[in-house]
Amino acid sequence: MKQPLSHNMILRCVSALLILLSMTVTYAAQPKVLRVSIKAAERGFDPQRLTDLYSSDICWQIFDTVLDYDYLARPAKLIANIVKEVPVAEQGGRVYTFRFNPGIYYADDPVFKGKKRELVARDMEYMIRRLRDPALNAPYSWLVENKIVGLDEITEEAKKKGRMDYDTPIKGLELLDKYTLRITLKSPDYNFLYAFAIPQTAPVAREVIEAYADDTMAHPVGTGPFKLVEWVRKSKIVLERNPDYRGSKLDTTYVDMNNEWDREVIQSIAGKTLPLLDRVEIYPIEEEQPRYLAFLNKETDVLDTLYQAYAPQVLQNGVLAPNLKKQGIRVFEEVQPEILYDEFNMEDPVVGGYDEQHVALRRAIVMGHNRNQETQAIFKNLAVVAQSPIPPGVVGYDPAFNAAEQEYNPAKAKALLDMYGYVDRDGDGYREQPDGSPLTISYLNRTGLQYTNQAELWTKSMKGIGIRFENRQVQFTDMLQDEQAGKFMFAVSAWIADYPDAQNFLQLLYGPNTGSANRSRFKLPAYDKLYEQALMLPDGPERNKLYREMCRLALAYAPWRLGIHRAFLHLVHPWVHGFDRHPINHVKYMYIDIDVDAQQAALKN
Amino acid sequence: MTHPTAIAPSNESPGMWRRAWQRLRQDRVAMVSLGVIAFFLLLIAMSRTGLIAAHWSDEVAPSYADPAWHLDPAAATTNAVVGIPNTQLGAPVDISDIDPLAPRYAELKERTAKIAHEKAEQATWLPFGADKWGHNVLTKTIKGAEVSITVGVLAALLALFIGTLLGASAGYFGGFIDDALEWLYNVFTSIPYVLLILAVAAIFSRGFLTIVLILGLTNWTGMYRLVRAEYLKHSERAYVRAAEALGASHASRMFRHILPNISHVLLVQYSRYVVDAIKAEVILSFLGLGIPVDMVSWGTILAETQEEVVIGKWSQIIAAGGSMALLVTAISMLTDALRDALDPKLNE
Amino acid sequence: MNISSFILRRLAQMLPTLLGVMVLIFILFNWVGGDPAYILAGKISDPKMIASIRKQLGVDQSYLVQFWIFVKQVFTFDFGRSWSTNELVSNILKTRLGPTLTLMIPCVIIETVIAVICAVLVAYSRGSLIDRVVMVSSTVIMSISFLVYIIAFQWLFGYQLQWFPVQGWTGSVWRNLLIYAPLPVMLSVFVSMAPSLRLYRSFILDEMCNDYVRTARAKGLSEHTVMLKHVLRNAAIPIVTNVAAALPTTLVGLFLLEFFFSIPGLGREMVVAVSNSDFPIVKAVTVYLAVLTMVVNLLVDVMYRWLDPRVSFK
Repeated sequence: MKQPLSHNMILRCVSALLILLSMTVTYAAQPKVLRVSIKAAERGFDPQRLTDLYSSDICWQIFDTVLDYDYLARPAKLIANIVKEVPVAEQGGRVYTFRFNPGIYYADDPVFKGKKRELVARDMEYMIRRLRDPALNAPYSWLVENKIVGLDEITEEAKKKGRMDYDTPIKGLELLDKYTLRITLKSPDYNFLYAFAIPQTAPVAREVIEAYADDTMAHPVGTGPFKLVEWVRKSKIVLERNPDYRGSKLDTTYVDMNNEWDREVIQSIAGKTLPLLDRVEIYPIEEEQPRYLAFLNKETDVLDTLYQAYAPQVLQNGVLAPNLKKQGIRVFEEVQPEILYDEFNMEDPVVGGYDEQHVALRRAIVMGHNRNQETQAIFKNLAVVAQSPIPPGVVGYDPAFNAAEQEYNPAKAKALLDMYGYVDRDGDGYREQPDGSPLTISYLNRTGLQYTNQAELWTKSMKGIGIRFENRQVQFTDMLQDEQAGKFMFAVSAWIADYPDAQNFLQLLYGPNTGSANRSRFKLPAYDKLYEQALMLPDGPERNKLYREMCRLALAYAPWRLGIHRAFLHLVHPWVHGFDRHPINHVKYMYIDIDVDAQQAALKN
Repeated sequence: MTHPTAIAPSNESPGMWRRAWQRLRQDRVAMVSLGVIAFFLLLIAMSRTGLIAAHWSDEVAPSYADPAWHLDPAAATTNAVVGIPNTQLGAPVDISDIDPLAPRYAELKERTAKIAHEKAEQATWLPFGADKWGHNVLTKTIKGAEVSITVGVLAALLALFIGTLLGASAGYFGGFIDDALEWLYNVFTSIPYVLLILAVAAIFSRGFLTIVLILGLTNWTGMYRLVRAEYLKHSERAYVRAAEALGASHASRMFRHILPNISHVLLVQYSRYVVDAIKAEVILSFLGLGIPVDMVSWGTILAETQEEVVIGKWSQIIAAGGSMALLVTAISMLTDALRDALDPKLNE
Repeated sequence: MNISSFILRRLAQMLPTLLGVMVLIFILFNWVGGDPAYILAGKISDPKMIASIRKQLGVDQSYLVQFWIFVKQVFTFDFGRSWSTNELVSNILKTRLGPTLTLMIPCVIIETVIAVICAVLVAYSRGSLIDRVVMVSSTVIMSISFLVYIIAFQWLFGYQLQWFPVQGWTGSVWRNLLIYAPLPVMLSVFVSMAPSLRLYRSFILDEMCNDYVRTARAKGLSEHTVMLKHVLRNAAIPIVTNVAAALPTTLVGLFLLEFFFSIPGLGREMVVAVSNSDFPIVKAVTVYLAVLTMVVNLLVDVMYRWLDPRVSFK
């Protein structure tokens, strides 16, 4: 091992054994192996059943989504993956035609009985029906729900019959030929295509799904660059290069040569046939300390998403720490298209409501929250203060938008409370409601250190403006349940982009989404009207103007306390090449290369 | 759990306690331990009444200010991480046309100006450093001691109460009551302790009393076992028979006659429970099921240290881990000494 | 009462106990516990979908029906599939048991051996300086929180000194034992040894006070012989009892180590299952461990009575 060996005999023996064991590994052929860790245990790899982020990321290595994102383009750009081109919106955003490339084959699997199985348009049609199969309860069925002509009727019928009909043709899903699928929507939707650049909508082979029935989570059969070869649940996931993969090359159209990461990518992988790795080993490590230490110990090659609390160890005054720099470790910084926020329950008698008094209360609470401490003490300055519900990196984001109404301003908060009658009448240091009844803000949040930190800061901040604050820290399931049912006053929340369009975020305040995506139960006719208008428009200044109006309404009525957009640090050892983390599809192992000699040399010394 | 034979039946004469105390006073380790415990009790009494550590939640120093033993001039820079720069913002967005509060903007401005904004001065270093909020780790640890020890004492008391009541009933009455309680005991001990704690903790919302309940309700079995065995033995003894002949009621025999005679067993076991409960609180807090956010305990402090050791901030783990070790050691030592003092058989 | 009727009676007693365990767990989880449907529904869910998932899981049925299903599961040994990963529960138990045992067996063996040796030495020289030093240091060692040990020692041995890796697990038992298990095992031994040592010392001291020891000494037997042949043999009974009785709890009790060293063991599985409201796993683990506990207790009692004729089979 690394250190000069100590005098201890036992230790020497153990070390000798360890070296012996590691030698047996190194003497085998030298495949390119990438070792990475993930923060939470995976659940399984059936695209339509995916719920968690980490399984989704892994699935995206195994399956091809119909559309995908360009590896280098920022902001994210939709490209064709297994279709000839990105479909154009026909008939005013109502019809989309997908023309599949011929010659794309699934990885071999016993189900195919030794025959090559080509991916065809029927597989996409099957996948869409499957998303809406009531027996599956697919978590992402909302992507196609209430959109495609004739599909919802099939679902309703299946609920009655207890069996989904996968065969009767649907008007909205027309198979024009073996390689062409035409989708007709009930109403225009210019963001519809994004739904097909999500691992949850990767086409699957019907015979595979039917053959593995209950075990589809363990038998992913895709057309992607890698395939699952070993899976020790919650401990180790091993992907290997899919020998049947068609091979692809890096598209350099959108490269930004001012960006050092882009330059490195071009230098190391441009022109090569991908994938370059032979094997990817993925280890779920749930505790942050071992996850970080494992990277420093070179037990993993990439540390995807450094724990925020450890940032001071990595970046000091914005510069990589000398000890890491010496080892050649590189740090990738990015602000992700996500937002952490807190939501008021607009139906709650204390904090809800659209009248002046309740608006004032919410706005005061928002201004009383010390968000400077939030970014500094909790997120170690690795955060961008949110100015609107729309995070950077998505279409519709306006970098100039400045929400002064959300700034930390305890004096203004106190003045606002005083003005609207939220004053301390009994002299206990805490304010009462205008009618004299006690005022306590109850904050629903979940167990975990990050949430504890947030709750602690809220308690302090509210004490600062004289508001009694009570924490309801519960298990995750209980939180979801209460949030869903509207049984809360104020709650912690977060949203990660499913696709890079502001609409994915603005839907969270759309009145008719109350009970599902709109958990703050915000119902403002003016807002809903703007939202509906925006849906009918393609990307452009006209739609951006509507988005801006919606954001302004969100500031005025304050259904949310806008939090922050987290910035993430990803650490990469010097022998890893081609790394360029994508805001939406995260890490694509296909583009990554490894200098095996450098890796092995580093492991030995 | 201790094997019952570790505590042999002892001399039941009324002078037992006095003689035990005399023996205990000879024991220097026991006296030092007693001193340490007294010190902690004094500390929490003072903290409870607000004499010290009342303002533990004030931010008196910058985040992670240095402790006295490690004053690092370079630390000021390492503390400040500069992350992603904020993007260039435009002028504040004007919402006055849609703002329900717009009519009273002028009044708001005027009132805001009147509210003075004071900022307290901050220390650059503290004896035990500061945590990430800038709390003084020393006062925070003292406040944490108060909560942790109170949890330990109360949870152990609850366990003692349940265990004694059930154990006494089972041992004294026997028969059907004994069978039923033995069944309950078997059920509780057949479920892994960890699972029981998790299950109960997952159900109740976080709170101080919740922790006491969880630890008390899941911890009574050992005490039950001991007490039942003692009652089985004692209920046949002559002095109990005599009391019965004199017309003493069941309750009187159980609690006025037998209980004092087994009190030494209870005391020893009780002090063990206090230790167990203090330790269990730490694990519960680590799992996020412990003390609520607006309070602080050794457990919540130690749970925070998982993000501190790696970045070289050792003051909390040393302060909370150290004081907890000190107290727990003292209690354990005293327990040993007490057992020896109350159990003359071993001291021959 | 003879052995066989004693065993029969105890076996018969197990049924009501098991029933009690089942009722308790059922009340804690199905009745007052969280609703698993909300996690399974994903990011955007609506009441219809929640209802549909609840129906699929069977949690919308009456408690009586749900309990009956639970009873059937126990008697068919088929707990179905995990609600969060769809993995067969039997498969989960099978695969997670190995890693836990790989940790647990060395822990128990090393701990017991060291604790017994130290206890004998200490008891032998009772009251001496060594006795005091060992007792005091073991008290100090056991007074530090396990969490502190894990956080500090993983950093020290896993990173600063680089003696051991901080994470990892393979399919090879030997590799696991030699590379991945030593640090967690060491930590566990460190923490659990002190209480055992103290306990065993008291067992041995108890035995040393017995008359037969004096008789043996009086007969002129060497102190060595007395210690090994008589005292230790008799003290072995409570020691073995103690070790055996702790086994079932240890199966899930190592969860902190499993979390911090990323070991796919039973404890970690169970803690995660509880927080996900994954009842099938929770129920299976509880029932199996309860049965194991009862069986171990029975075996211990039988052994106890068999080895020590003073105790009768009542």
